[in-house]
Amino acid sequence: MMRLTEAVAQAGWRARLDLRFARRGQATILAARRHVGPLALQKPLYPEGEGVCHAIVLHPPAGIAGGDELALNVELEPGARALLTTPGAGKWYRSDGREAGSRLSFVVGEGAVLEWLPQESIIFDGALARMGTEVVLAPGAVFVGWDILCLGRTAAGERFGRGRLRLDTRIVRDGRPLWRERGLLEGGSPWLQAPAGFGGCPVSGTMLVAGPAPSPELLAACRVVESSSDARWGVTGLPRLLVARWLGHSGEAARDYFVRLWQRLRPALLGRAAQPPRIWAT
Amino acid sequence: MTTSFLPRLLALASPALPVGAFSYSQGLEWAVEEGIVVDEVTALGWIGSLLEFNLGRFEAPLLARLMGAWAGRDSAALAEANDTYLASRESAELRAETVQMGYSMVRLLGDLPDCPQEVRAALARLSEPSFPAAWSAAAAAWGIPAEEAVTAYLWAWAENQTMAALKAVPLGQSAGQRMLYVLGERVPPIARRALALEPRAWSNLAPGFAIASCRHETQYSRLFRS
Repeated sequence: MMRLTEAVAQAGWRARLDLRFARRGQATILAARRHVGPLALQKPLYPEGEGVCHAIVLHPPAGIAGGDELALNVELEPGARALLTTPGAGKWYRSDGREAGSRLSFVVGEGAVLEWLPQESIIFDGALARMGTEVVLAPGAVFVGWDILCLGRTAAGERFGRGRLRLDTRIVRDGRPLWRERGLLEGGSPWLQAPAGFGGCPVSGTMLVAGPAPSPELLAACRVVESSSDARWGVTGLPRLLVARWLGHSGEAARDYFVRLWQRLRPALLGRAAQPPRIWAT
Repeated sequence: MTTSFLPRLLALASPALPVGAFSYSQGLEWAVEEGIVVDEVTALGWIGSLLEFNLGRFEAPLLARLMGAWAGRDSAALAEANDTYLASRESAELRAETVQMGYSMVRLLGDLPDCPQEVRAALARLSEPSFPAAWSAAAAAWGIPAEEAVTAYLWAWAENQTMAALKAVPLGQSAGQRMLYVLGERVPPIARRALALEPRAWSNLAPGFAIASCRHETQYSRLFRS
């Protein structure tokens, strides 16, 4: 007879977390939460007062294996403000032949602000990973998000020599696409070495800030933020979207760069200073 | 095989097409400034890798989809593909480039005698026609088959990039012809693959290219607009 753990291992985890944040007076509350499988939320925190609800999304199995499917659905009602992060790096294990997938869906209501500041995703050599992110913005909604990809366990010198990563990121505002990026990256591809591609860098990051059109002053303030000497980075202003890119060798350096951009952007966009969540320091 | 469309196709792929393509390097000028592209080999590496892993896997299949939308008179598919293309531009300069070239292409079509009224009307309904949307309108109106259209479009891009490298590096004319010989061999199979590329295999993930284009926006000394 098959034991439970074996059955789970064969089927893969199906995990889903649905969250809804709502504005009540000056406060943002967690109005609804539902979860299926090993994806959960730590108790909401209010380190900067009742106006912004901070929440930590947990994935207790620690890593994502072939066959796993994770879904995170977050909805912000009009005027709500939430900041979501993760307690550690997301690990995508070497696959036994099956693809693993994650799907993030963020629906941000009128005048609401969602900050999605996860720690990096580590794609193990041989992983088959699919990551989809869709952000739907109502008028006046703001989304701040970043995504840091580490190709291979870089600390151990591992490279992404086999496997495959698929990415699909889109931001939609008023029913029209504001941002669309698709990626299909094969382990060992020459694109990983090509200077126009990853240039031999195992870590790549993208920060997207969708809100009011970035002012020339704000753009200039972001452009002067520097990073480590073995990295490349750039900032641009698209219609109602600021995009920052980072390419280098350390997930920590990538996050450090994005945090410093966030510290410049947050006062201008939200009228609040940016304090890195304490969970990052642990 | 009829080749009555060939002169029209050559005109669409010609550097003489008055849309201003020659003024854009798409970040190549920054790659030169940064010392990433320094000679014929590195220039060919930069352009060839973008052809294979970026244009060939995103812009080319999107152009094929646009050709299909024009052929099927499917205005919803046309608008969707145009919006997707605009949303896929990695930087302000790359977005401004396609909007300017699209605008010039639409104006050019208005000045030509044989652009059908319904094509002009469909372009006028797009709030910001991208260059691929306007270029494919001409290709479809002139009866150019999708494979030939995508091949010519990629060739024109490769030729324009090569000319930008000749000016920016700089390189000699013979180096340019050697590069075009290599790129020309690669274009037809990339175009054929693009026609059949399923959406989940599309990819415009090009961090080095995106950073080059972002940084070009504040490059001190420059010849090109992107």
